[in-house]
Amino acid sequence: MPIHFDENRPIFQQIAERVEDDILNGTYGEEDQIVSTTQFSRMFQINPATVVKGFALLVNEDIIYKKRGLGMYVAAGAKEKIMGKRRKRFYNDLVVKLLEEAEKLQLTKEDVVAMIQQEKRG
Amino acid sequence: MTDVLKCSSLVKAYGRTEAVKSLNLNLNEHTIYGLLGRNGAGKTTLLDMITGGLFPDGGEIRVHGQALRRGEVPRQTCYVREKNFYPGGAKVGEVLNMASTFYPDWDSALAERLLGEFKLNSRKKMRQLSRGMESLVGNIVGLASRAPLTIFDEPVLGLDVLMRERFYRVLLEDYAEYPRTILLSTHLIDEIATVVERVYIMESGDILLNEEVEQIRERAYLVNGSGGAVEAFTSGRRVLYRENYGSHTIAALYGEIGAEERREAQSRGIEFDGLPLQKFFAYLIEGGQEHE
Repeated sequence: MPIHFDENRPIFQQIAERVEDDILNGTYGEEDQIVSTTQFSRMFQINPATVVKGFALLVNEDIIYKKRGLGMYVAAGAKEKIMGKRRKRFYNDLVVKLLEEAEKLQLTKEDVVAMIQQEKRG
Repeated sequence: MTDVLKCSSLVKAYGRTEAVKSLNLNLNEHTIYGLLGRNGAGKTTLLDMITGGLFPDGGEIRVHGQALRRGEVPRQTCYVREKNFYPGGAKVGEVLNMASTFYPDWDSALAERLLGEFKLNSRKKMRQLSRGMESLVGNIVGLASRAPLTIFDEPVLGLDVLMRERFYRVLLEDYAEYPRTILLSTHLIDEIATVVERVYIMESGDILLNEEVEQIRERAYLVNGSGGAVEAFTSGRRVLYRENYGSHTIAALYGEIGAEERREAQSRGIEFDGLPLQKFFAYLIEGGQEHE
């Protein structure tokens, strides 16, 4: 059964994010070969052209690179690059949204910080 | 890119009803297309004309560069009909044998493997098959033909969800290895949304939209906010659908929007949401009817 992609936004971006996630969580290390477009297309039932487009996004950002005739490989420094990019997004997408929702619920910034400190993680 | 199929200003009428109205359609090589439309939109009439079963009242059809003449069946084309024409007394194996002689690129190993995957008995007679099994026989013909232009009309009719998934998987698998032009005509939009690369949306005999699916995902969106804010935001944009509830308005739009514009609108209390292909299709068609 195919894993669900969010039909509300372009799939190729989600494919790129999925590969990035796999690099972040260690599924792929630097210089590891990533799954082929054909296999990806079959696994997730996605048109191969869409998968190619998603991989191309990562090639453009030097996160993966192509070895001619062999396939796609994780570039050196890919993890750092992804983390840098995601940290920026973390603020825009998550922190800002969190505070907006808090405002709707009439929670102050201090309330939110207190909640975060209560959470027993790390 | 080469045109595998080119339809220009196609017209077909049944009596006074125009089933296809001055329609243009271009299919390139190595692409999977979806032909989407409601029942009665004219999809099957169009496909029958492309494949030589019906002669258009006007316009031209070119398949692999050659104009299709009256009574001619296009070369290197496999058409899997919604209703097959195989004799009811023929066995599944005989149907596949017959088909293998029509298509120069036929792969009998694939046909054999698909019989297994689709759990079909080659000794069964066509008339003994359920609706779903009948669809599967047609689908095996379509896939094993490896025809440079393969057309499926409602290929998953009567299939349970497992067999439908299996069909899409096999199709993508084989397509990845043997790229060709495939046209899937269906009203089950959600299912083919990730399988096809481009869609033609057909309504009342006409093509409403011809676009890359990923492009639609990028451009179609919903906004929700106070009536005034939404009114101001939507002016000058392509609105597919609009509905008021309380003091708020929800609208479906189509078009590019920059990150800056989006932030600006959000600061005015407008919320954005994506629009899946199925919803986009419904809004596009409903919106079209409002203006009629």
